[in-house]
Amino acid sequence: MNMDTLALVDKVFGSKILLYILLIAALIYPFASPLGIPVSISSRTMQVYNYVKSLKPGCYVYMEIYYEVAARGELEPNVVALVKQLFDKDCKIVFVSLIGTGPIVFSLLRSTAADLFNTKKYGVDYVYLGYVSGQEAAAASLAKSIKGTVSVDNYGNRIETLPLLREVDKATDFSLAIIASSGTDTFNWYVRQWYTPYNVSLLFVALSVIAPSVEPFVGAKQAIGMLVGQRSAAEYELLVGRKGLGLASMDSQSLTHALILVFIAAGNVVYWGKRLRTKKK
Amino acid sequence: MSLIVKRVIPQLIVSIILIVMIVFYFFYVNKSVAGVFSAWDKALSDWAIIIMAFALMVGGADIFRYHLIQIRKAGMKQAPFSIVTILLELVMIAFALIGFYISYINPESGISITTQPQFAWLYTNVYAPSDTAVYSILLFYIASASYRAFTAKNPTAALLLAVAVIVMLGNTSLGGLIWPGMLSLRDWIMTVPNTAAFRPITMGAGFGAITLGLRLLIWREVSWLGRRE
Amino acid sequence: MVSWELFGAWIGAFLIIWIYSFAFKDNVLYKLAEHIFVGTAAGYSVALALDSLNRVAIKSLLAQPAASWHYLIPVILGVLMFLKYSRRYYWVARYGIALNVAIGTALAVRTIPMANIVRQLQAAIVPLWGSDPLKVFNNWLTFLITMGGLTYFLFTIFPKKPETGKVSATYTVYKVLYLIGVYGMMIGFGALFANTIMTRVGFVISVYLIYLQPYMEATVIAVILATIAILIEIRRRSRSKCMTLRRMS
Repeated sequence: MNMDTLALVDKVFGSKILLYILLIAALIYPFASPLGIPVSISSRTMQVYNYVKSLKPGCYVYMEIYYEVAARGELEPNVVALVKQLFDKDCKIVFVSLIGTGPIVFSLLRSTAADLFNTKKYGVDYVYLGYVSGQEAAAASLAKSIKGTVSVDNYGNRIETLPLLREVDKATDFSLAIIASSGTDTFNWYVRQWYTPYNVSLLFVALSVIAPSVEPFVGAKQAIGMLVGQRSAAEYELLVGRKGLGLASMDSQSLTHALILVFIAAGNVVYWGKRLRTKKK
Repeated sequence: MSLIVKRVIPQLIVSIILIVMIVFYFFYVNKSVAGVFSAWDKALSDWAIIIMAFALMVGGADIFRYHLIQIRKAGMKQAPFSIVTILLELVMIAFALIGFYISYINPESGISITTQPQFAWLYTNVYAPSDTAVYSILLFYIASASYRAFTAKNPTAALLLAVAVIVMLGNTSLGGLIWPGMLSLRDWIMTVPNTAAFRPITMGAGFGAITLGLRLLIWREVSWLGRRE
Repeated sequence: MVSWELFGAWIGAFLIIWIYSFAFKDNVLYKLAEHIFVGTAAGYSVALALDSLNRVAIKSLLAQPAASWHYLIPVILGVLMFLKYSRRYYWVARYGIALNVAIGTALAVRTIPMANIVRQLQAAIVPLWGSDPLKVFNNWLTFLITMGGLTYFLFTIFPKKPETGKVSATYTVYKVLYLIGVYGMMIGFGALFANTIMTRVGFVISVYLIYLQPYMEATVIAVILATIAILIEIRRRSRSKCMTLRRMS
């Protein structure tokens, strides 16, 4: 490649407007015309699925909903798939949020998975305690006693009036604690306040960007496994048999990633082309 | 006297609480002491929750104050925008207070602070979409950086890029099309070298937090006090 | 008659497109959307703080005043935090902050040694020989990268390269571990970069599917308005540039 060609490639690929338009096209096109690329299931997702499958029917599960509306796309499909699997096993779920956006996110979750929640009775099969402020202090307090931390649920019902919360009160009453979070700190809190003192099994549902920094906890067996982003959501949806946003997004993810890889390759070709030409001179 | 009240007593409170909460967590004296510690430990955790709530309110007041100053000082270029911010903040708080009031006057209505209809409408249709947009706009910058900045300039950068490409392909369905083993390779990278790479960072963060605790204990860490006297 | 739901959905679409317009150029519609976001976010966080206070303290104080009297202490300290704006009594706010800092640090510090250090060390101590060659290879890699990373973060105790003479064995071992640590962390950061892209693409996809695709007319109108705002901004900047050049000449 001569310098003129390199300069032309640099001009074309370096144009912000072209990149943004191609990016938007790559994101939108698969929804208009699906590519249908098959999704295979990884061993890590299979491991999580098998673990949840092995839980006793009717057991108690704690679920932390700690993400903003922005992170719904990556985390909600995982949560919905897990809720489906747990409800199919008649497990009872206590939902909590240590983040302010929790109540609204939970109401959006309920409307997305209305078919799942409508088959279950609030107060008996699941409860949402709402937003409990205090972050790690709140996690520690909930581990000791839920009744001692909150007096009403998110909808103003007194805790004593909810049958499910007469059966569970502290961390050790739960078979599994699922932490769906868009931040790294939440996982640290639950490892420190739920796993370390009480040995409660933890399952992490994390954003793809957070996953690498949370891996050491999974590697050290402080969590039984982790579901990461839309990829894991797509795999889990296939496993539980409920198609959702995870599977719907994979074609768009693939095309967008392909575009970014093309731009990375072009950037390297231009860089090395210029560098080698300059060296020759 | 004034320095004692302004700096010494707050730092003493920090040291005493740190010592009590840590010592009685690790050392068992007898059943009654353990019972008292457990009750006060729980109470202190609740105190932290309450004070954190007030800290959030102070944060809201800070934004209000900042934009009020902007309206006075920054002129017509900024003032209309600051008015919009202040108005919306007050409107959200007003609807929240209405929900708070209704939750006590008529508990059976099911309306609380966050489920007050107008408050929920504002959150769902104004805050949530803009919050999502602010987080997702980064994709455009990452994409433009992928052409300019992610070049294999040296061996370490080349390794970073190679791993990034493998994980990117494994994260999508593309990897499976190129090579069936791409997903397993990605899983291996995440499970073995990536975990090992972030382990020292996790441990370092742990050491850092312990160091911070020790510094607070011996009054070397004073940044939380704010301004100097 | 337009329903509140439809009106709200249109507002959402407008705000999203106007915020995205910043990627192309800063403009007045982006500034408006940004300030709307900041206002609602601030109001929401205050509302949630009130909600939390209501659940933990107010309801307990009203229901069981005898058992919950101690909640008055943090409530009073919390109210006193507003004194941070006073020139004379700003220091009163420190008492509430002190309590928060102490409790938060204590909760973290007493469990960090086990969770972040001991358990991570335990996970790093793996058998370096065995019958399964892949497992042995993985264990060696885990051990070396962990040791290398820890060596990399040793800023205070490290051997210096001698200016003359032979390089010591200690220095060689340190340098090798240091390099392994650097390369190991590059693997970690490469995975982090790839996952960052996945997350952001996921966010944009959810924005499109939830807020834009169902309300295409709103999206198109918002795009047209944003384009006009950007063109006005470009024209304004080129005009002010011309005027500056004229003044200089």
